[in-house]
Amino acid sequence: MRARDLFGLALAALWQQKSRTVMTTLGVVFGSFVLAASLSIGQGVQDTIERESHRSDYLRRITVHPQWRSADSDPSSDVSPIPGKMSAAKRERIRRAVREHTSRKQVAVTQEKMSQMAALEHVEAVVPVFWQSGYAIVDQQSQLTAVAGARPQDSDCRRRLVAGRVFDTASEPAALVSEFLLYRWGLIDDASVQGVLGKKVRVELRAPWHERGFQVHLVRSEGDEATLEETVALERIKQQLPATLDRFDLTADQVQLLRQAILDQDLSVSSVVSEAFTIVGVVRLATAEEQKLPWDPLRTSADLILPFQTASDLFFRLSGNSERGVDQAVVVVDDERNTKEVYQRISDLGMRANTLLEYIEQQRLIYLLIFGGMTCVAAVALLVAALGIANTMLMSVLERTREIGIMKAVGAGNAQLQLVFVIEGAIIGSLGGGLGVLLAWATSFPGDAWVRSMVARSVPVELKESLFVFPVWLVVVSLLFAVVVTTLAALYPARRAAKIDPVAALRHE
Amino acid sequence: MPLASGFNLADEFAIRVIDLTKAYGKTGALLYALRGVALEVRRGERVALLGKSGSGKSTLLNLLGGLDRPTAGRLEVAGHALERLTGRDLARFRSASVGMIFQSFYLISSRTALQNVELPLIFAGRSPRERRSEARRALEAVGLSARLHHRPAELSGGENQRVAIARALANRPEILLADEPTGNLDSATAHDVVTLIREHVDKNRTTLILVTHDEELAAACTDRVLRLRDGQLVS
Repeated sequence: MRARDLFGLALAALWQQKSRTVMTTLGVVFGSFVLAASLSIGQGVQDTIERESHRSDYLRRITVHPQWRSADSDPSSDVSPIPGKMSAAKRERIRRAVREHTSRKQVAVTQEKMSQMAALEHVEAVVPVFWQSGYAIVDQQSQLTAVAGARPQDSDCRRRLVAGRVFDTASEPAALVSEFLLYRWGLIDDASVQGVLGKKVRVELRAPWHERGFQVHLVRSEGDEATLEETVALERIKQQLPATLDRFDLTADQVQLLRQAILDQDLSVSSVVSEAFTIVGVVRLATAEEQKLPWDPLRTSADLILPFQTASDLFFRLSGNSERGVDQAVVVVDDERNTKEVYQRISDLGMRANTLLEYIEQQRLIYLLIFGGMTCVAAVALLVAALGIANTMLMSVLERTREIGIMKAVGAGNAQLQLVFVIEGAIIGSLGGGLGVLLAWATSFPGDAWVRSMVARSVPVELKESLFVFPVWLVVVSLLFAVVVTTLAALYPARRAAKIDPVAALRHE
Repeated sequence: MPLASGFNLADEFAIRVIDLTKAYGKTGALLYALRGVALEVRRGERVALLGKSGSGKSTLLNLLGGLDRPTAGRLEVAGHALERLTGRDLARFRSASVGMIFQSFYLISSRTALQNVELPLIFAGRSPRERRSEARRALEAVGLSARLHHRPAELSGGENQRVAIARALANRPEILLADEPTGNLDSATAHDVVTLIREHVDKNRTTLILVTHDEELAAACTDRVLRLRDGQLVS
């Protein structure tokens, strides 16, 4: 018997029972639809995460923070005996609290630590991230401003550049200034933006006001900071104060008390570093949209930006900063496949490190679990549809018993009859599977628009491509699954049909 | 399937049955439909099987047509030892060597006359063009060239039996087995149908086994009459 004729007989049988065929096929259509849609969005979300994460070098970055270490982690440290009458348990609790309180140490992100991290295999760069206030002086005009470091390839600086250029190297003696800083310097007109390029800006960093010891500060009610001149004058007062304490209306004990407090502070040394840099570019302020983007430690919203190596050198020359270290450092790895390894080595150095890769892997796992669950539900839906097919075909075998008998009487073999029923199942599967995939594809357009509107409302991320994808493998898998499941469902009814005794079948009414 | 060795069936016999038994039910409570039947039918011979209801006529016909298997005995039809054939070979035998006509026509209601006649040719693996032409020829031979595309419900009883005859003859079988072919027809139509069968059998020298309980019909269109009673041949 020819394959074409087998198909012809199967199609004729399906055509003969149109309503039943349509209903059975609809079950497969919806099962396949859910399966294809679920696989599609699952893959689409995975692709989107992958795409968005590779858009920048986020996955190659490890952010390193100072690490606080309590005495508990250092068994060699101990505290004085706890006096008083108390229970042993309470004494132990107090002892632990005192030890923690007195011997808590910070492992700072110092120059030494950064050098160690830079020496690690696969590390491309270690970019210090700090927020240091200082005075920027151009043409005798000084302004207190935040100073930050940036990488030459930093996209944020490039995007915001309105005049000049970005840095050529990480250690270039150059500076980028914001148009707002120019405004505060009195360089208001557009023409002055070009005019400032090539000029020298002197950057003067001073130790932060919360530095340990005796300080003299000017705090205005409006929140404005002191000018450079005022700061210099206050510095002089600070240096003269120890010698002039007697001239204040204080008791001898009070004078003695203050002298004791500033005893080990060398007030004659001023914590100031100063250096001149060439202004190579002007950047605009970040727009409201840019500010909504996920926070990036390498984004420099300071008014004065130096190449990160230059900024780092300047920062560490300031008294106290060598011990305090930077707020954080971003370690850039050569390839994201090495991020985990470098992350582990940094942790081994005693630093607290975070990597987006870790977070994204967690997210991937969550999505995989969610979409895996959805796919299982879809598969179950298709299996339920398959049970419906098996049931329908069993009914069909019963209804067609006499017809099967006639076919056997005129020469149909068991295998031929079995094949006709199996092909009926396969036709329903391929038709239902194909329509299901087509339906999933068609609904992906409104579905994608809906998901996009939800994303736009809650997250400031612009999705470039559809969240639903239909790669060839997805279409093939969905179709094959539908065909295999429905064919398997048809096997039992087909065997029943083939086993029918022709004599009994011919007598069947 | 070649003949079984040691079964020296002479070429002139289309059917040879030796000690054929067919029983239904479980061991210990067997119900015999046929018991020790022996029969020889020459090629081109027309034989009538007469007997009352339940005498075993249809059972014998079903066994000869390869629709059923014997409980015991030898059954050789058109050169095939049917009791030894596999299911697949038995299906081929039904398709190529015998044509069967039934009292109730047994046409598939959803298929047209042409499609019904094509059915055995489909299972025989004939090409669409070839089988279409064969089916047309068979239907024309029974005088239904104007009814090719009518379904059974649109045809009279006589026409339906003609379609069934065309279907039985489509594969040009060596043996024609007819089970009460006029049982559901009025006398005029029955006469036409019998004439049609006789003409074909005479023209093609086809062996005919006609099951009937009509003595007159048996005498009119067969060479020999065999009688069955309680599963045994009595004459």
